[in-house]
Amino acid sequence: MTVFLTGLQYLGYILIFPGFLFCFFCGLLLTGIDRKLVARMQKRVGPPLLQPFYDFFKLCGKETIVPAAASRTTFLVAPLVGFAALVVVQLFIPICGFSAFTGMADIIVILYLLLIPALAAILGASASGSPYAGVGLSREMVTVIACELPLVLVLLAVAKAVGSALGTGLCFSVSEIARYQVENGSLITRPSMIPAALAFALIIPGETGSHPFDTAEAETEICEGMHAEYSGAPLAIFKLTHAVKLLTVTSLFVALFLGGIGTGIAAVDGVIVFALCVIVTALFVSFVHAVTARLKIEQVFKYYWTVVSGLALVSLVLAWYGL
Amino acid sequence: MFKKLIEESTAKSPWLFHINSGSCNGCDIELVAVLTPRYDVERLGFKLAGSPRQADIVVVTGPVTRQSLDRVLSAISQVPEPRCIVTMGSCPQSGNVFKGSYSVCAPLSKYVHVDVDIAGCAPKPEAIIDGLVKATEILKEKRGQM
Amino acid sequence: MNLTNMMDYHHYPIYAVMVLFLGAFLVAAGGARHSKNPDNPAGARAWIALCATGLSLLFLVLLVKPVMLGGETIAYWMGMRGIAGGYAIGIALEVDALSLFFALLIATAVFVSAIYSIRYMVHDECVPQYYVLYCLLAGGVLGLVLSGDVFNMFVMVEILTFAAVALTAFRTKVYGALEAAFKYLVVGCMGSTAILTGVILLYAQYHTLNLAQLASLIPGSMNDATKLAFAFLYIGFSTKAFIVPFHPLAADAHGAAPASISVLISGVLTKSGIYAIIRLTWFLFQTMELGSMQFMLVFVGSASMFVCVTMALAQHDFKRLLAYHSISQIGYVLTAVGLSSALGVSAGLYHAMNHTLFKGLLFLAAGAVLHETGTTDLGRLGGLSKKMPHTTVLFLIGAFSISGIPPFNGFASKWMIYQATYQRAVETNNIGFLLATVIALVTSTLTLASFVKVTQSVFFGQLPAEYENVKEVPFGMRLAMGILAALCVLTGLFPNTVTSVLTEPAARAVASVGEYISAMGFKSALPTPELSFAHVGVWAPIKWLLLLCIALLALTIASLAGKYDRVSAPQEEKTDTKYQLFYGGERSVYSQVGGGDLFWGFKHNWRHYFDFMHNLHSGVVNDYALWAVIALALAIVYMMIAL
Repeated sequence: MTVFLTGLQYLGYILIFPGFLFCFFCGLLLTGIDRKLVARMQKRVGPPLLQPFYDFFKLCGKETIVPAAASRTTFLVAPLVGFAALVVVQLFIPICGFSAFTGMADIIVILYLLLIPALAAILGASASGSPYAGVGLSREMVTVIACELPLVLVLLAVAKAVGSALGTGLCFSVSEIARYQVENGSLITRPSMIPAALAFALIIPGETGSHPFDTAEAETEICEGMHAEYSGAPLAIFKLTHAVKLLTVTSLFVALFLGGIGTGIAAVDGVIVFALCVIVTALFVSFVHAVTARLKIEQVFKYYWTVVSGLALVSLVLAWYGL
Repeated sequence: MFKKLIEESTAKSPWLFHINSGSCNGCDIELVAVLTPRYDVERLGFKLAGSPRQADIVVVTGPVTRQSLDRVLSAISQVPEPRCIVTMGSCPQSGNVFKGSYSVCAPLSKYVHVDVDIAGCAPKPEAIIDGLVKATEILKEKRGQM
Repeated sequence: MNLTNMMDYHHYPIYAVMVLFLGAFLVAAGGARHSKNPDNPAGARAWIALCATGLSLLFLVLLVKPVMLGGETIAYWMGMRGIAGGYAIGIALEVDALSLFFALLIATAVFVSAIYSIRYMVHDECVPQYYVLYCLLAGGVLGLVLSGDVFNMFVMVEILTFAAVALTAFRTKVYGALEAAFKYLVVGCMGSTAILTGVILLYAQYHTLNLAQLASLIPGSMNDATKLAFAFLYIGFSTKAFIVPFHPLAADAHGAAPASISVLISGVLTKSGIYAIIRLTWFLFQTMELGSMQFMLVFVGSASMFVCVTMALAQHDFKRLLAYHSISQIGYVLTAVGLSSALGVSAGLYHAMNHTLFKGLLFLAAGAVLHETGTTDLGRLGGLSKKMPHTTVLFLIGAFSISGIPPFNGFASKWMIYQATYQRAVETNNIGFLLATVIALVTSTLTLASFVKVTQSVFFGQLPAEYENVKEVPFGMRLAMGILAALCVLTGLFPNTVTSVLTEPAARAVASVGEYISAMGFKSALPTPELSFAHVGVWAPIKWLLLLCIALLALTIASLAGKYDRVSAPQEEKTDTKYQLFYGGERSVYSQVGGGDLFWGFKHNWRHYFDFMHNLHSGVVNDYALWAVIALALAIVYMMIAL
């Protein structure tokens, strides 16, 4: 009986909170808020808050066309695998003190698990055979490489800072980092972590393919790039993955740098974390979107490997000397 | 319930794909004007899509020159169902001042079923919005019949 | 000797080597004539080679229990000669967990590649001779790792270099094969000569060639001549491992050799070099406690990692690209081993194993493409996934593994390497190890980029018209790839089993030099240290996979309920414009985004670096010989100062 109940509890984690249902609603809502905010910043009325939901359901009702030149199975399976992998990543990210699954993946693993949705999108694009998708996937891959170096430096800095504070030297576990913050306050309050937090915040638009780093899906120059041949339900899943990725990356930011702000009640904490995610999105996704124009891909790369990596490196050096 | 949800959503999230079939650019600029802060059709869920695969409404401008006819038709054929075809400006409806030219194939309705015609040279943004909203209603109807 | 005595497991190491040489002899005795069967030109001789490699693998697997799990070190004197007057007389084999670990890798790769060869080597001339050289190469490498005698190591190096050069030049009609073999021969001979010089220098001073005895004599009596010998041996074995600055040879040799041989050169030959370097640094000279030695190995490893992955990004030939990746992965192994921590050695060995598996798989996939299309040029291929679905899936498993995508094996070992390097950085407060961590992490992403390029330009994208009639490869070849793919997945999903059964015993053997010496009958006061393999992070691949499966299942059910799979199908594929690719309205034409054009955004920022590298790798054998000399000079100077 207890085994059954535990199983049911874990199934609930996967399907409802913080799994599918939570990802679906919060991800799309976050995207809706982002779109509304950008519109308001540009003095437009903007789409309704629920616009991403309409888009999703509309796409579900459209015809799915698989081009004759495409590798059919990969083309159709890639969106599903990418989305499922992303939801699983969301399960590992603690919400204040609460983690649905502990002892399964540390931050380095999460770094690589976050590659899987991008890789699935790349393979799906590649399988479509479209040259626009070819250009798009190449840009996506370069963006991934660009974000990787600063992200690695940020994560190493966090691991070192928390590890030396805990006396273990190193700390890779996300739930440990969350617990440390519950006991000692948010990491962002430490001077050494401020550049790292800023670097991570600047990585968010790159990871989620938002302006000005959306070269991979530049709809005006390469016809939506990777998704050029996608239509109907598979496209809906891709759009959903895109929305959930925004949630995942911002909530990872919140878990790493703004942790410890919570009440201990999972449901309330969920709301608080979501509110923090909205603030982070507003500052670093919507605002950046509203005030910038799209960069060229080599500028994206240069920006991340110089400015953002520099910030992260400062943080790593500070953490190294125990600040 | 899902069917109803999808039908409602279809009307609320129409994505446009814009084809210029030899237009003088007057209508194209007007279409862009509709997306600007003053008119902002995004409030109705409209968005420009980059690829016909993602579009619901195809907006054709220009008098459909002989050079562009094949391209227009193949791009329209690549839009998934349910789809709505809107002609914008007088050119694709009648040929406008180019009527009778050896290189112009207008009207477009000779080759493909056109759902909405937005008249004018160039049409006013208000007229364009009105036409596009009509198209969303047709879209919803078509979705209902699927 | 009676039968029970013969079947004593102490004899197995020598059987494992001899059965391969015997196989080579038997195949050669079978003559050079092709048999009538077009699917197997070597006839029974191919089966003899397969049986020889299979038996060799079997003997080694039987040794897992006593050596790996029992912790025994087998010391075996050939011809029953042993120690006389305090000096080792005669030829010895010494098998500890480290030797056995590498021997198992080698035997597995050799066996799988032999399965593959049967159907792969059908269009060539002189196929029977191929099997002779194949068995010689396999026997040479196996002999090298099992030998307990430094001169025997040299002899085996000679045998394997001879066989490897001949096999590189095997397809004489392939453009560049002879040139590649010549380069390999020249630099390989310089390496062999360096090894011989080192051996002579050691023998002149210590009057013994036995590894264990040398290990008991050298530390504590290091003089300039010993250091010179060390430098010579190190450079000699570096050429066998193809680490920087010998990496250009690998690219040429892998590109020109048949795929089944590339597997051996990349998966097996490089491993023997790494094995020898471990033996030298940890056992013979016992210098791994020194920061300078750690620095040297980590530096060379990180340089190999990064230089070769960027070189790979610039390649437009499938096999040359794989060749550079092999050295890049060897860089990981060397870096991890150079950390000189228990976790580091264990992680390095784990990665060495994984590299053999996934790189073997990738080379076999490249061979399958070559077999069916006749080319490995990334600019000319495309869209093969529709014609070769199984090969594509197998290739993708290999590509995910090498790129370190969870839950495949490459990730498990790289993840341990990241931890080990960072842990060392924190322990020693040394910024160099931190840099190695960052390089390792970034190299992994660059590897992924490079394999995305291969995937896009070979298996996905558009199919050129000339490959319309390409077929899937025969079952024999898919079987070989399937075995390696299954091993890639299994070793990735059960990292704890693999480390506890294979790599941790081997890492323990690396640390317990005293046991190695005393097992041979020499005195040693070296203690056996207590090792801790504790991880900092957590990674539970099985649980993660379970979660992913549940999530995927739920998603699949939901999408099937939503009729996700109801896809409108074209009536008439060729003419219906609806199902053609979108080209801005134009009619569909063949326009593949070629491998060379991908990642422009990355390469543009690094153009000065790439120009520099391009000019540096001139492809002229004189230059590479000069590199070897410079490397030797640098090594000598470094050893003189550092040790």
